[in-house]
Amino acid sequence: MKTNPRSSLSITLTVWRALFLREAISRLSARRGAGAWILLEPVVNILFLLAVLSLVRVHSMAGADLVIFVMIGLIGFFMTRNPALRGMEAVNANTALFAYRQVRPIDTVLVRCLLEGVLMLLVLVILLAGATLTGHQGWPQNPLPALAAFAGLWLLGVSLALPFSVAGELVPELRDIINMIFRPLYLISGVMFPILAVPEPHRDWLLLNPMLHGLEVLRTAWFTQYHTAAAVSLFYLYACALALLFLGLLLQLRFKHRLVAQ
Amino acid sequence: MIEVRDVYKRYLTDHGPGRWVLQGISLSIPPKVNVGLVGRNGAGKSTLLRLIGGTDTPSRGEVERHCRVSWPMGFGGGLQGSLSGRQNARFICRIHGEEKNMAERIESIEAFAELGCAFDEAVKTYSTGMKSRLQFALSLAFDFDVYISDEITAAGDAAFRNKAQKAFRDLADRAGLIMVSHSESTLRQFCTAGIWLHEGRAHWFDRIDDALKAYKESMPS
Repeated sequence: MKTNPRSSLSITLTVWRALFLREAISRLSARRGAGAWILLEPVVNILFLLAVLSLVRVHSMAGADLVIFVMIGLIGFFMTRNPALRGMEAVNANTALFAYRQVRPIDTVLVRCLLEGVLMLLVLVILLAGATLTGHQGWPQNPLPALAAFAGLWLLGVSLALPFSVAGELVPELRDIINMIFRPLYLISGVMFPILAVPEPHRDWLLLNPMLHGLEVLRTAWFTQYHTAAAVSLFYLYACALALLFLGLLLQLRFKHRLVAQ
Repeated sequence: MIEVRDVYKRYLTDHGPGRWVLQGISLSIPPKVNVGLVGRNGAGKSTLLRLIGGTDTPSRGEVERHCRVSWPMGFGGGLQGSLSGRQNARFICRIHGEEKNMAERIESIEAFAELGCAFDEAVKTYSTGMKSRLQFALSLAFDFDVYISDEITAAGDAAFRNKAQKAFRDLADRAGLIMVSHSESTLRQFCTAGIWLHEGRAHWFDRIDDALKAYKESMPS
């Protein structure tokens, strides 16, 4: 009899690896052209926003190049939205796999979020390369805060996916509501306007949204001449993300049996 | 050695907690013993298998596995419909830490299941028989100390059934087996000991014949 049990850590790591490959395959081959759509969705969104904004004759945003402004705004937004919304469905999409005791619900959520982050990063690199080739400023003037902002936005997505996936399993109707909430978030997260263009007191209300902080930090990192509100800080973004992360982990732990129950 | 200590289980239904399916089950299943589970429909046989396999957790009490225990084999679960048979097999190899000798595992699974080119097609296109072939092949590909089987032998067409029967026989000789089956002959063929589940409690019998007898006597004739 073999009495050489694998450690919990090594089991978790092999499960993550296996899940990551599994998720990647189904993400890229789910529908016809699913792979192309990963790149096309942000591109279409960017082109649409650019078209609308140039229609109202906006050519620069508080001293920032419009194309890059919209591009990093949208990608930053997707960096949070995609992990959050797709991670929410992870438990539901993988119920068949809980037949193997090695696979825990939280594994599926985390792995899916990681995959979404990696995909968005690839899209970002491709888009920035394209922007640079067409004469825009594709590289941030301060790369470190830009990286920290993208990482923070992604972390916020993970932190949202964890409680969302529990909520969606316990009360499936919440999934539709959460999906609905993310649509107006697109508008109020500052994807298409600089926060300084918003008058007080509305500006303070919008600044409650941690995503907006991430997007504004991205712009200041890209363009040193870009001005933003004094209250904008990465600290706020990370504080919100970590608070939600703990809430999410707590919920996952509390309801782990309910999530695998059939 | 598998120890089940004072296990209670009830499921959550739409109207709050349901009835107690298992009420205070304590068992210790010795290694290399083939055990058959008998009991009426809804007596909790599959539930107990799932608890032993670690797929579900008891409401109270605990289950300890001191050896490599398989996943509960045979109830259609554990396969991802959108992926091919090969991709599913790879996934299962990976989570069981068999990444290094994955190629030969996959080969043996492919050879045993005899699915031909369907092995590379999505599992959702499989017929029930094809699915059970794949599941059976998957379960044979790993070396567990104890196999948990939920009606798995009743699978496939006649030719495959013969082959499966033989493979299952070898497996039962080599490792421990905990199985549920409604076929008495299957139980007699593979099992030495028996557990009779009745009204939420488990009764252990060293001989499967005694378990079957007790089960039959409990039924109104």
